[in-house]
Amino acid sequence: MSISGSVGTIGVLMRYWVKGRFTKGAILGLVVGEAFSVVFILFGSSTYLSFSNRVGLSTGLSEVALSILLALFLVGLIQSGFNGSGLPVSSSDVDYVFTSPVPPREVFAAKVLLNSLTTVLFGFPPILVLYLRFSAYYHTPWPAALLAGLVTLIFLVIGLLLSADITLSLGHGLGERKKLWRNIFIVLVMVLSLLPITLLIPGIPSGIGEVARVLPNGLAAAVSVGLVSGTTGGLAYLADVSLLFAWLGGVLILGVRMSRQHFYDLLEVSVPGGEKFDKPNQVSRLDPRGKSIWSIVRLKEKILISRTREARAQFISAVFLSGFMIIYALSGSFSSSPTSFLFILFIIGSFGSGTASRWIEKERLWILKSSPVSMRRYVKEVYRARGAPLLLYLVPVIVAVGVPLVLGELSQPSLLLGVILALPGALEIASITMAGGMFFASKYGQSSTDDILSSQQQELADIRRFLFQTIINLVMVSPVILLVFVSETLVTILGSGYLPILAIGLVTVSIAFTVLSINFLLNKAGDAVSKREDL
Amino acid sequence: MALDNVSLKIASGEVFGLLGPNGAGKSTILKIMVGILRPTTGTIRLGEHDIVTDPEKAKKLIGYLPENPSLYTGLTTLEFLQFVGKIRGVADDLLDQEISDSLKSFGLEEKRNSLVGSLSKGMKQKVALIATSLHSPSVLVLDEPLTALDPKTRVSVKDWIGNQTKRGVTTILSTHDLDVAQTHAGRIAIIDHGKIVAVGDVESLRRLANTASDARLEDVFLRLTEEKGEEPARH
Repeated sequence: MSISGSVGTIGVLMRYWVKGRFTKGAILGLVVGEAFSVVFILFGSSTYLSFSNRVGLSTGLSEVALSILLALFLVGLIQSGFNGSGLPVSSSDVDYVFTSPVPPREVFAAKVLLNSLTTVLFGFPPILVLYLRFSAYYHTPWPAALLAGLVTLIFLVIGLLLSADITLSLGHGLGERKKLWRNIFIVLVMVLSLLPITLLIPGIPSGIGEVARVLPNGLAAAVSVGLVSGTTGGLAYLADVSLLFAWLGGVLILGVRMSRQHFYDLLEVSVPGGEKFDKPNQVSRLDPRGKSIWSIVRLKEKILISRTREARAQFISAVFLSGFMIIYALSGSFSSSPTSFLFILFIIGSFGSGTASRWIEKERLWILKSSPVSMRRYVKEVYRARGAPLLLYLVPVIVAVGVPLVLGELSQPSLLLGVILALPGALEIASITMAGGMFFASKYGQSSTDDILSSQQQELADIRRFLFQTIINLVMVSPVILLVFVSETLVTILGSGYLPILAIGLVTVSIAFTVLSINFLLNKAGDAVSKREDL
Repeated sequence: MALDNVSLKIASGEVFGLLGPNGAGKSTILKIMVGILRPTTGTIRLGEHDIVTDPEKAKKLIGYLPENPSLYTGLTTLEFLQFVGKIRGVADDLLDQEISDSLKSFGLEEKRNSLVGSLSKGMKQKVALIATSLHSPSVLVLDEPLTALDPKTRVSVKDWIGNQTKRGVTTILSTHDLDVAQTHAGRIAIIDHGKIVAVGDVESLRRLANTASDARLEDVFLRLTEEKGEEPARH
């Protein structure tokens, strides 16, 4: 087939995939998601800059931090590559594209181009906002931020190609050993990326920081931070840029070579709502003898969470929340503005409650609704099972962060009350947003057998759910934020002598409010499940 | 699908068939019967219990199998059945025995510890049937229990339905399979566009449709659904 013919075929494939992917709902979702990301990036980057300013390693630390962040992204892509998802395909691709006479290489090219396009569209606005914030901090011109953003996008494309290459390589004798190779790759990326942290230890030779520049994440971080901080120039910088492009060329050539032959059997077809399990046989853990119905409901939920990837997602979201809390506390922003801490926590929580809000997809409503159990109670028990692990991860972090913060603020009673209220406030907000997520899932979420809604309608329903969920959750958590907001004024008016009584009283009030809010939301969730007509 | 003036009386121990074209309202009737949908007007009584006003007691009497039963794929077969048995109020000392017997009768003993998600469609249907009857319901409501099953599984599901009816369980069966309806159901209701077009045994349906006395149920069905009467004919 001629080159023009190939380009034509790739164009046709991309046109139809774009039509399928960028529906009205998807575009609306993109805009809403981007708006949230931008707000989060602005808060997050400001916190980070305050933190790095305090630590006093501004540029070097920024490079390391960005390199680690990009390394996490790379690790995710390596994992999906080894899982066979390096080139995401749907069942309609299998039915219509793979049965057509289109050469595999053209399918590969079209898939990679479409993935890159989607990543660029989704990734560029928040990345640009991040670098604009950095360039404002370092007093560099905005085109530097634009260039830095483009460099990071090149890294993202390298990551996507690497992931696709790994998937393609699965058919070249890797077979049974793929887990070993995956682990070697991941450990290598993480070790090399984390090595520069050792520079914080006095006496470590500075050359060790250069090791991270072997990988694309280290190179992209060095070049991007160099651009926004105005420290670019010189041979080393040129070498970094050249190496980054060498990575791009390398993974591209490798992919093109490997996609010459049929590779479709290596790919994992994504099925909406489909779950993957490592082992088809498991030891049964749900022994009902002597247990109440509700403890069995909770146990069932825990088993389902632990056997799907949800447990991992929940853990990652808890690590993310904890990490943010620690950096926020270390940056000094927590003490001066505990209200903004709670607000940003709400934004993270809105994304984080995603795992809870997906519970309805795993429920089997025909079993529940044709049984005599109370739906209100059932939803509450599911909430208990899902909420407990998250709170278990967060409580130690709050204690670890809270004790030094409270001790540090003892001399400033007016600020101390806000800090005392904000610490349990973090847990309260996480708990309320989770209950809110479950309510909105009960009302709008798609159940496993719901075949009435088309994918486009479902996308719009998801957006509507997300917007309603965000607004209502914000209303629900606002009294907790408001209490922190007025705490300083209260201490000023009443005097620091009243601080212990005020602290105990207001913490009790906010906990009572949280319990009532959760109860209200979960009752509503139970009623919504009862009223659903699907199964 | 909206229902219009549907009125049925099914005797205890009776096997009652619901026939109708796609979208006629069969599944809607069944969902209302088991309390998943609420009727805008009217009542549904199971013995002494109204499914709307007294759902907990009424639901204890029912075993329901939807058209496409989805199961908890992340549980093993045993865990799934234990969970369903527990929420349907089966006593602990009976549950294990009931599960073992049911798995044995369906030839699924080896799949006790297999994740439900790893089972074939036929096996999942058998597991769903076991779940439907674990609490020994006195009324079984089965929505298209034979759809898309291979011949071997169809035979075992048909046998299972036969055994339930022999035990005196009232069975309400929605099906496209006219052979199954003819074999198992004492009376059949033909529903079209949300209305009951005819109710009766096969002989009376033949008479209503003005077909020959040896006419196949398929011909009777086609004739009756072509001519939509306002009031259902009863025999």
